[in-house]
Amino acid sequence: MELGVTDHTASVETEPQGGDRPPGAPLLELRDVRVVFRQGGLRVVAVDGLSYTVSAGRTLALIGESGSGKTVSSRAVLGLLPPTATVSGSIRFDGKELVGISERQMRRYRGASVAMVFQDPTRSLNPTMRIGAQITEAIRVHQKVDGKAAKARAIELLKLVRLPAAEQRFVEYPHQLSGGMRQRVVIAIALAANPKLLIADEATTALDVTTQAQIMELLRDLQHKLGMAMVMISHDLGLAASFADEVVVMYAGRAVEQAPTRTLFANVRMPYTKALLDAIPRVERPPHQPLPVVPGRPPDLAALPAGCPFAPRCPSARDLCRESAPPFGEGEPGHRWACWYPCGSDGAAPS
Amino acid sequence: MAAQLPEADAQVPSIALAPAGAELERPRRGWLRQLDVLVPGTIIAFLLFLFFVWPIIGPVGKPTGGNILNANIQPWSPGHIFGTDPVGNDIWSRILYGGRNSIEIAFSVQFIGLVLGGAVGAIAAYWGGVVDMVLMRVLDVLIAFPALVLALAIAESLGPSKSHTILALCFFSVPAFARISRAATLRLRERPFMLAARLSGTGTGRILLRHITPNVLPQLVTFALLGMGVIIILEGALSFFGLGVPPPNPSWGNMIFEGQGILSAEPRLVLVPSAFLFITVLSFNLLGDALRSRWSSV
Amino acid sequence: MTGSPALRLIGKRLATAIPVLWGVTFLTFVVINRLPTDAAQQLLGVNATQQQIEELRQKLNLDEPLFSRYFSWLGDVLSGNLGRSFASDQTVTSILSERLPVTLELLAYALIVSLLFTVPVAVLAARRPNGIVDRITMTLSMLGLSMANYVLALILVYIFAVQLEWLPAIGYVNPSDGIWPFIKSLTLPAISIGFPLFCFYTRLLRADILEQMQGEDYVVTAAAKGAGPWRVLMRHALPNSLFGLLTVVGLNIGTLIGVTVIIESIFALPGIGGALLEAINNRDILVVQGIVLVLAVVVVAANLITDLLYAVLDPRIRYGRTAS
Repeated sequence: MELGVTDHTASVETEPQGGDRPPGAPLLELRDVRVVFRQGGLRVVAVDGLSYTVSAGRTLALIGESGSGKTVSSRAVLGLLPPTATVSGSIRFDGKELVGISERQMRRYRGASVAMVFQDPTRSLNPTMRIGAQITEAIRVHQKVDGKAAKARAIELLKLVRLPAAEQRFVEYPHQLSGGMRQRVVIAIALAANPKLLIADEATTALDVTTQAQIMELLRDLQHKLGMAMVMISHDLGLAASFADEVVVMYAGRAVEQAPTRTLFANVRMPYTKALLDAIPRVERPPHQPLPVVPGRPPDLAALPAGCPFAPRCPSARDLCRESAPPFGEGEPGHRWACWYPCGSDGAAPS
Repeated sequence: MAAQLPEADAQVPSIALAPAGAELERPRRGWLRQLDVLVPGTIIAFLLFLFFVWPIIGPVGKPTGGNILNANIQPWSPGHIFGTDPVGNDIWSRILYGGRNSIEIAFSVQFIGLVLGGAVGAIAAYWGGVVDMVLMRVLDVLIAFPALVLALAIAESLGPSKSHTILALCFFSVPAFARISRAATLRLRERPFMLAARLSGTGTGRILLRHITPNVLPQLVTFALLGMGVIIILEGALSFFGLGVPPPNPSWGNMIFEGQGILSAEPRLVLVPSAFLFITVLSFNLLGDALRSRWSSV
Repeated sequence: MTGSPALRLIGKRLATAIPVLWGVTFLTFVVINRLPTDAAQQLLGVNATQQQIEELRQKLNLDEPLFSRYFSWLGDVLSGNLGRSFASDQTVTSILSERLPVTLELLAYALIVSLLFTVPVAVLAARRPNGIVDRITMTLSMLGLSMANYVLALILVYIFAVQLEWLPAIGYVNPSDGIWPFIKSLTLPAISIGFPLFCFYTRLLRADILEQMQGEDYVVTAAAKGAGPWRVLMRHALPNSLFGLLTVVGLNIGTLIGVTVIIESIFALPGIGGALLEAINNRDILVVQGIVLVLAVVVVAANLITDLLYAVLDPRIRYGRTAS
């Protein structure tokens, strides 16, 4: 399937880039992770049985709409959820179980083993603290270094993220930088303690397209250089195509399709994923045609219907779909999905 | 009017400062959760009944015109639960009538403040430009003006009375409400639904009425409730200088003032009105706080 | 480039302050003149003859029209002369220099003490929301807020001055007559004012800190770095919350001055409030004007300083935008 998706690498290629690198050791393993929020009598299952594995040097894309559970599941890894949330299941980093460990132990992982980059760089940075201080803080929380060494490392990091005039930026405040530059600073902060895994939560959503491309490219380069694993959270399947090795599509807190990138795009099964793919604007499409958009809205997690959560919006939904939820199973080697009537197989499939 | 209580019930922080997996205890039943409104609300309702209804239907003596022969009767005596004051008036009835006066005054002041101040602030914010600047300067003058001077002046020239006290206290409340209303309207003005209303040609008056008022009103009402305590206390303070409710009519303020001199000998003359003052103010504060934490997320 | 947004702010504020000062003083003038009796009648008392009153009026220039009196007063003020009291013939300036410091000292004492306690208590409460410290703090502060400061004053006097005899009930001691007695004489009044303030400020700061901690992304970023909860609170949330507190304190100064008048009266402190009341009773217009002017200046100055502090402390204002 020719995608013609804009690729963000320096070279001109039109194929998804993932899948070429050999997998390293599994770094992050989620197994049947559930996150339940309880507040004032309300009970919301934000993440329902999510499992995936990320290895060193590889990128996993977590794709979904808002409310799909992608952000919550990632915050659960670092224990950054409010006390109203209960996490169950298994989250292993480098073989060590993270669910249920104490706050103090968790802090040792944050930044040093797993780091996060958030969506809005304007809000992610402390407005009254100098940029240099925010970076050195990230360093000194984990290492006993003196001010000078920390400053040197911070400037090194700023240069690593390709921030021009690093020494000057070191003493400046966030509002003195543009959006793209701020996001680079956020990335520098994330890298400060040499994490092995980087979680980029909609890291480029708040940026304009050009800056988005630059930042994604930067992330990819850093990953190559540092051998980091990366979890890329987004709603943009096109972005996943260009940068991810494996894709997990989430809906209503569950994984609904999971496969290596090439496999997914070549052989999409779940109608939801297909709908997302169809919605990507493409150059070859005839002009002035309305974009095929998924009708309806994401479900209310506090009141999920019985059966497949996507059934109300699915073009190929049938009675079975509304009655019972399809299991998430490995239909083909390396390719999992949750659908009674997946595309391209028995039964009527949409074009 | 300084004492706007900040939110007591701020939500729990979103990062796990508690051990991971800890759950929050929250009462499940409907009415238990409403306790923060029900308790102060009930107390206020009871107090209102006590001050406004009970003297009419119950055995309450007169608050004034006491017989000097009855002076300084001790509490728990027949007919005088709290005893009498040095002039022979029954303290219990003075408390009740004084409470009525205090609440009447405070309610009037807050009501006028809400309507007048709220309107002025909203208009200033909505129209912006010169209107805003002029109105704001006027408000600044009122705020910088030592209202005590005004209160004194009014009392001196017009004579102290309940309505004059209300007038003097409005100089506190109207600018305060105007400030709040203006800030709230400014925030509202930039919201998309406001722009939509203006673009669709909705007239200004209609916008003010249908769009701004319902959104600003909850804030103003909670502010009014929270301010009741302040005004009641202020009215008491004015009485200190003989500017509030004129004696022999009782007000908690002038009762406290009168009792000040013989604090050591007869502390109850100060303590009883102080206790009622405290409970009343506390109840209004609690109610206002509870309502504010409910409506703030709206 | 730096500092110029701050300067522009000061300039703007000064420009709006002038009409306010003018408005306040003019309003006062009008109000005092509307009072039933005038200075001449007050000074001479009830037994004065009409002729004596007229003579005194002429001498005090009270027979001239209002506007001309106001403008000549304005002129005098601008050249530094605030006039003399009708009652005591003391210059207004000397009255001010005698009485104003007492009030300012009391205010400063009350503010400093209350703020000194506010920050640590609010921080401790915010550290574990709905925890023991938090619940106790919130309850006590709610109770403290609901207390009238004059009632608190009377209770304090009863306990500490009458029963325990630790502190004086009334009276003011000049600092030149001994620092310690000076502080003691102001302590009970300062607590009467400062305690409700402390309750109010603590709730405010705590709410602000929690707002930062729960709602702001930079707090999550800080936590994601591995920073401990204390560090996140003190180094990130607190500095940003102090702004809110600063604004309120600054805006409050105006109403605070009104409050001190009552307390001054209870404790018989020779402050500006008492002077004002006396002057109004005597229809001593020039004294009233002088005091009101000074008070208005204090209020305006407080607002200005608040804005200035903001400009200095908030790097967004201090440095403006220099980014590409």
